[in-house]
Amino acid sequence: LGYLVLGLVAGLAAVERKGFLQAMLSRPIALAPIAGWALGDAAGGLLVAPPLELFWLGAVNLGAALPAHEALGTAAIAGGAVLAGRALGTGVTPEIAILAVLITAPVAILGRKADRAVEGGLNERIALHAETALAGHHLREAVRCNLYGLAAPFALAAVLAPAAAALAAALIPVILVRVPAAAGPLRIGFYAFAAFACASGAKALRAKAAPRFFFLALAVAAVLGVLVWRIAP
Amino acid sequence: VSPAKVPTATLVRVFWRCLFLQAAWNRRGMQNLGFAYAIDPALRALYQDASAREEALRRHLGFFNCHPYMAAAIVGGAIHHEERVAAGVEPRQGPLSYKQTLQGPLAALGDGFFWTALRPFFGALAAVGALLFGAPAIVLALAIYNAIHFGLRIGLFRAGYVQGDALVATVGRLALPVAADRLRSAGAALCGVAAGVILLRSGWLGGPGAAVLAALAAGLGYAALARGARLLPTAYVATLAGVGAALAFAHFHGSS
Repeated sequence: LGYLVLGLVAGLAAVERKGFLQAMLSRPIALAPIAGWALGDAAGGLLVAPPLELFWLGAVNLGAALPAHEALGTAAIAGGAVLAGRALGTGVTPEIAILAVLITAPVAILGRKADRAVEGGLNERIALHAETALAGHHLREAVRCNLYGLAAPFALAAVLAPAAAALAAALIPVILVRVPAAAGPLRIGFYAFAAFACASGAKALRAKAAPRFFFLALAVAAVLGVLVWRIAP
Repeated sequence: VSPAKVPTATLVRVFWRCLFLQAAWNRRGMQNLGFAYAIDPALRALYQDASAREEALRRHLGFFNCHPYMAAAIVGGAIHHEERVAAGVEPRQGPLSYKQTLQGPLAALGDGFFWTALRPFFGALAAVGALLFGAPAIVLALAIYNAIHFGLRIGLFRAGYVQGDALVATVGRLALPVAADRLRSAGAALCGVAAGVILLRSGWLGGPGAAVLAALAAGLGYAALARGARLLPTAYVATLAGVGAALAFAHFHGSS
């Protein structure tokens, strides 16, 4: 049932991402907790949401250019992490989260390829069908064709996200049970990924002053954090 | 002759359908199917004659591509022009010229403001909020983003419908490029705050060495991306380097 729920969430997110609404509900920051909640562990989704949002902050659809399918990647990562955490009985920990990222993140690139195939193939055929319908005076059918385009993104994400999550859910418990000493270094790896994701976000903002603002804010936040930590009882 | 008016309920329906503008985005006509789908209720209200409606629909099934939020303004403006065409006070090519003239500039403006400034800013704000305050911060950030997004989307649709060609001046007064520059800088600063929080957490969890590794991942990662490195492979390198360094540290620490 978990995989069905994940497929539904991923499919709806893929539709919201481009075909309908675009209200940030399919962005990693919203989708990861939603996917986690749908699978019974919202906190697990919340752990991966901020780094994934920042990592894919530049994943935007400019003109005809297609970005990595961040919604598909997020659903797969959050789903895989939650399911693996459930299998291990620990919930989502940083080491589980980073393994989920390493195993399933490439599905976002696969999603981009699938998008390209749909927009250049299936949707073009839908457009031709609409023109033919209009030529045959079937106005309603010509207009309705637009909605047919929602099916393929939904179906692709609904299949690919659970498949990638299943792979992560199968591999992660095996890795962590067989090599328990890897947990500590993987936890450090999670924070290295999260810090890199912040840099990726700042870079994606395409501002001339971005490096200055990014590194200055990093230094100020780190110093303030240390001060608060030392002062706090 | 006063142009025929599209009923308000129909305009609401058209706006709702604007939300599906990219449902069947295709390389041939891009958002052409979405545009025709969105404007169809207005064409039904304006043209009782089936052949006139078919001709109008054909006009809107041609190539169209714009930013999906900004396109609401063009849909509204196209209805403004269609009302005039239906009343016989404007040539049939009027709505098409309007679309062709505005789609490029509004697409550039929308991409520059919404996609590369406002949305990343709120994404970064929500991420920092989630790191510090949890899920309620995400809900709040997305609520504010959507209040702005829907406010502008509805306002642009209305401005296009009411003002027609005068829409350009209204959009100009919004000064979106200036706001975009500020949002980008603020967004970069928010990413820095997020990195600071992550650095501290890694330090608390794994000691100063872990914080140094996170700082290196952020600093070297930024430098690599600025030099054109690809995102996903660089992320793997940063993560695996972090894992490897932690393994090496544990090995030497354990053997000493």
